[in-house]
Amino acid sequence: MYGISAIGIGKMYGSFRAVDSLTFNVKSGSIFGLIGPNGAGKTTTMRMLCGMLSPTSGRATIAGLDIARESIKIKRIIGLLPESTGFYNWMNGEEYLYYFARLYNIEEPIARKKISDLLNRVGLAAKAFAPIAYYSRGMKQRLALARAVINDPQILFLDEPTLGMDPRGQQEIQKMLLDLNHEKGVTIFLSTHALTDVSTLCDQIGILNHGKLIAHGSLNDLRNLVNDSTSVFIRILNTQETVSRLSKSPFKITIDKVTEDSVDMIISDDNIELDEVVDWIRKQNFKLIELRQLKMNLDEIFFRLTKPNYDKPSSPISVKKSASPQVGQRSFN
Amino acid sequence: MIHLIIYRLEISGSFYSWRGAIWIIAAASIFSLVAYLLLTDKELSLLDQGEMLFTFSEVIIVLGLLMSGINSSSSISTEIEGGTFECLLLTPIKHIQIAIQKMLSTVTIWIILYLVSIPYLIVLANGTNLAFPAILYVGLYGTVLSIAISMISIALSWILKNSKNSIMVTIMIILLLCAPSLFFGTSLRRTDFGIMLENINPFSHAINSLDSVLVDNQQAFYEQLPHVWPVLVFAIVCSVIFVITTKKFEVSKY
Repeated sequence: MYGISAIGIGKMYGSFRAVDSLTFNVKSGSIFGLIGPNGAGKTTTMRMLCGMLSPTSGRATIAGLDIARESIKIKRIIGLLPESTGFYNWMNGEEYLYYFARLYNIEEPIARKKISDLLNRVGLAAKAFAPIAYYSRGMKQRLALARAVINDPQILFLDEPTLGMDPRGQQEIQKMLLDLNHEKGVTIFLSTHALTDVSTLCDQIGILNHGKLIAHGSLNDLRNLVNDSTSVFIRILNTQETVSRLSKSPFKITIDKVTEDSVDMIISDDNIELDEVVDWIRKQNFKLIELRQLKMNLDEIFFRLTKPNYDKPSSPISVKKSASPQVGQRSFN
Repeated sequence: MIHLIIYRLEISGSFYSWRGAIWIIAAASIFSLVAYLLLTDKELSLLDQGEMLFTFSEVIIVLGLLMSGINSSSSISTEIEGGTFECLLLTPIKHIQIAIQKMLSTVTIWIILYLVSIPYLIVLANGTNLAFPAILYVGLYGTVLSIAISMISIALSWILKNSKNSIMVTIMIILLLCAPSLFFGTSLRRTDFGIMLENINPFSHAINSLDSVLVDNQQAFYEQLPHVWPVLVFAIVCSVIFVITTKKFEVSKY
């Protein structure tokens, strides 16, 4: 079952098309990251899905509920952390959360317990009774996140959740989101410019540009979409004939750096298999120091896909899956 | 009606602290000053007791309308300006419930003001049978007009999304309503334009009704019906605007 399903959803502000006919599905229990340049339509999309803004075209469902007709039911099962949350600054953190708990009709004893747990989780227990006016930006963001999950949402929408937070705070929020996803099966819809958050957290990624969904899939799917050819970085021991023998290799080799001790090279080939490379190195009796697969990261994919005049390939180019590592790096010594 | 939690938050700002409640002291001071002038000023004290009550009733209603109007005209726009409205709209409360709770909080301000004014009405009516009719009709017209003004101001607050503008427009509407009764001279009121304005103006009807009850001693309710229904029609029109507007509450590009 899909947690979120959008079919041709769009929004016009007068003659300006903010969101143009988006169609995508987000599986229940998954983490979906929506990225895009400023003004791409991310926030508008999120507001429409939360039932706070009426779409001008298309339809969407949240946990099977229609956003146009069942917005009250939807609001009971979702949580939203908007990009810029306002606060009642005269309240303290505890009062603020209690106010929202009551708006969700959570009974007082349950609300009090839940608030205490949440304040602990977001690291605000010590400041629970300080006026919000005295909170730092990061503390306010934590409080807003606690508010977003006060109703135990099935689906959580987050717009820039780590904005203004220090690195430790960002890590803690990431951990909290992963815990929510793993322990409670919360579907998370994340809109952010922090691409490392998206790479770390998300199963599926959508890239929005000028209101259009230009790419949608896993990180590997996006790599395929931008024709990310597999490259392999190799460092071998530099012996007398190493460099001359490299010129006779069956692969397209680019020598990166030659020192007294080692030679660094990059093998680029669309259909490369790591096993073949390793076999060749063995046959040549090269002393292997390091070998790792180079893959395009999300930043590079994002820049390439959102570059003006980028020609999206008509069909994704397939990359042979080998016994190579799926993500990240592997070194041999 | 989710335990009137929004209503409680709204009135907490108006009553729970000395800063919030200072308006009650200010209102009581105005009432005291007007009552003192009516009873001691050489010219004013010559007024018939019914006319004194009528003048005082006008002050109560105008002050009530101003308080309700100003309070409600900033109720949505301050939330929008403070960025809290988005979170409020995200909760599973119907938009009309949010708006009604905000409206109730401003009507509460009117009710407090009205309760504060009652002892003054009783003192000014001392020795006549006008205390009860004064309390009744001031309560009736004040409450209906206060609800109507609150509803139209909340609608304005949403439409304009800016506290300063919505407060200014609301004050202008209140002044427009009060103008024929308070600012027009007798000759202007007798012109065709003045008569037409009085006929369509709910505030003028309320004032004319109080005049006939307190000054002309026509206290039977049926005698006041020609004045009551225009006030009710005004309230119904305001409530229609209120309902239509609250249905359009959504978070757009502010």
